[in-house]
Amino acid sequence: MEKGKISALQMAIMMYPMIVASAILGVPSITAKYAKNDLWLSPIFASIIGYVTVYIVYKLHELYPKQTVIQFSEYILGRLLGKILGLLFLFFYIQTTGVILREYAEFIVDSFLVRTPISVTMASMVLLCAFIVYGGLEVIGRAAQLFFPLFVFPLLILIILVVPDFEFKNIFPILGDGIWPPIKGAIVPSGWFTEFFMVIFLFPFLTDKKKGMKYGMLTVFAVMVTLVVVNLVVLFVLGSATSSKVYPLMNVARYISIAEFFENFESAVMAIWIVGTFIKISGFYYVAVLSTAQWLKLSDYRPIIWPIGILIVVFGFWSIPNTLEIERFNEGTFPMFGIIVQTIIPLLLLLIAVLRKKKRKKTESS
Amino acid sequence: MKNIFLLVLVSGVTLLVSGCWDRVEVNDLAIVTAAAIDKKDDNQIELSLQIFIPKALSSGGGQGGGTGGGGAVTLVTSHKGSNISDALSKLQSEFPRRVFWGHCKVFIFGERLAKAGIQEQMDFLLRHPQPRERAYVYVSEGKAKPILELFAPLERYSAERLREISDLHLGMQVTLQDLDEKLIGIAQAAALPRVDILPPEKGQEKSQGKPYIVGTAVFKKDKMIGKLTENETRGILWIRNEIEASTVTFKLGAEKGKISINPIEATIKLVPVIQNKKWIMVVKIDTEGSIIQNGTNLNLSSTKLIRAVEKAFAKEIEKRIKLAFQQTQQVLKADIVGFGEEFFRKYPKQWKENEGRWDKIYPEIELEIEIKAHVRRQGYINKPGGMPEKEVKEQ
Repeated sequence: MEKGKISALQMAIMMYPMIVASAILGVPSITAKYAKNDLWLSPIFASIIGYVTVYIVYKLHELYPKQTVIQFSEYILGRLLGKILGLLFLFFYIQTTGVILREYAEFIVDSFLVRTPISVTMASMVLLCAFIVYGGLEVIGRAAQLFFPLFVFPLLILIILVVPDFEFKNIFPILGDGIWPPIKGAIVPSGWFTEFFMVIFLFPFLTDKKKGMKYGMLTVFAVMVTLVVVNLVVLFVLGSATSSKVYPLMNVARYISIAEFFENFESAVMAIWIVGTFIKISGFYYVAVLSTAQWLKLSDYRPIIWPIGILIVVFGFWSIPNTLEIERFNEGTFPMFGIIVQTIIPLLLLLIAVLRKKKRKKTESS
Repeated sequence: MKNIFLLVLVSGVTLLVSGCWDRVEVNDLAIVTAAAIDKKDDNQIELSLQIFIPKALSSGGGQGGGTGGGGAVTLVTSHKGSNISDALSKLQSEFPRRVFWGHCKVFIFGERLAKAGIQEQMDFLLRHPQPRERAYVYVSEGKAKPILELFAPLERYSAERLREISDLHLGMQVTLQDLDEKLIGIAQAAALPRVDILPPEKGQEKSQGKPYIVGTAVFKKDKMIGKLTENETRGILWIRNEIEASTVTFKLGAEKGKISINPIEATIKLVPVIQNKKWIMVVKIDTEGSIIQNGTNLNLSSTKLIRAVEKAFAKEIEKRIKLAFQQTQQVLKADIVGFGEEFFRKYPKQWKENEGRWDKIYPEIELEIEIKAHVRRQGYINKPGGMPEKEVKEQ
């Protein structure tokens, strides 16, 4: 199966753009709808679920250090239930990858390649990702490492350039309506934080397994800080209009104007988004392929890369008719869906596994 | 063999994936530099676009101004329609190049349209991916279209001229984003700079008139309800901390002649206070400037006189602010300076209790102005220039 190894740092570098890339674009708007000018507090609340998820996953990993969730759920739940759960994970990953792909393509078509058929945008991205998945985990890890600066620096530069347009007083009143609005606003980003569940597929392939937990937690923290900063930037520039924009960060980038010639910076946002989404889709795609291969007990996952790729494109079409539906999915469905599949089910798995182990110990000692 | 096949395949693929669908050549684009939107009868609007002519610039036509009309680098085209997009699509069918909004930095609403409401047209400008949120928005005195047709000798075209004037901060400077924020925000009132045309000198063609900013148009919700004069606008700029390089001229006591001071720096703080159910706004201004003209016969080098000048300077600013605020608060009843937001930020609870009553509270807000004005420099001469020493008063 997978013979490659990645370091814990590479895992962190993979996970960071995987969460941030799509979270910085549309999520601030949804958060602002509920949290108004407290939207910058929401990622802090949302990140709690990220820490919890990483903790649960690491504990599961300690029990079964060499296997992924598809494999060890059969040990925990028994063969049949384990297979059913595995199927759920398969469905989850293929479908989610489809949605992410569609979201990427909609953004590109909406703002840049207006007349390009969306199927072309989607297919070319999947094609590219298929190549990298073919290379295996090590290649994804190194690509992430290579692209990481390309992802982070444009974002930083963008934020610095827009500082002259900051209206700092937009942040007040802090908690004017009490603590509830930012918590409500945290529901949607928390869906993004549950995606940290993916590290369960990466832990078995780490060279330095002991650092897994530490780097996982650090990544959650880094993502939280990034989201807080991005939300603040959006709030400072757009103020009360934040929630009415579909891609607030895009509007912020367009607003940059330094000395009248340093303008029209939206291509930077596009670069960030494409690089990040590329890593994100590769990661999700890889996990979907790997878990399918493990679920079917194949000796190699490479033969099913292409079929799954086609499935992902098709899911991108099937599950979503338009951008409004993406927004509705991200707002209404994904938070619950994500938390159940990626946090609650693993938690139950962990509980059952721990109880079983205790029981076994008891029977052994008696 | 296999390698060659692969090479051919890869080169073939590059042809397919290079994104040719959305390839747009610059010479297929009609670059819009300014747009004017007027209201017509029978619920129609007229969209006028000022479109850049690249040919005129490359052949050096830009400099050949003088004679008027000859060296125009822009053309104006317009069409009626039920809204912007409707008018645009009709206009497009008569125009050989694809309209491109990416460089449009000026939007002008006609006065009639402004009075009828601009929300419907704002939606297009904000929704369409091309128009920039940083574009400046204006309201014209009368019809908006003639402004686009003007000829700007110093700049390349009249829209550029308007933009440059806005950048001087002598009047309001409002971008599409600012306007959107104001209309969405809690104050529900906005202000836009008003553009008028200076009539051409005698013997000049009509297109020689010059667009300039005359004051402010005041909006409540999305409808224009009134105007502020240039003087009143200055007062608003003081409150909104947007004042830059506008000279303050005033009399000093009973002296003959006037003194002019150029404020170099001003920090303005709005401090909302709610006391015994009374809503008070304290405007704290700290400004410094330098004397640029002294029309009196006083020698302003003495500290005592400078104190007096500073006092009079502060008084003058106060007068301007009061005048402007009086007009917006009592006459127009529109919160264009954003006092509502200030109160909301400091007193979110009281704000919530009175949310629906802001319209009633606003006209009753008391304004307290605290000004610290300093004169820092006096220029290259100390005594009044060009005056015999005998006539200079030292005290």
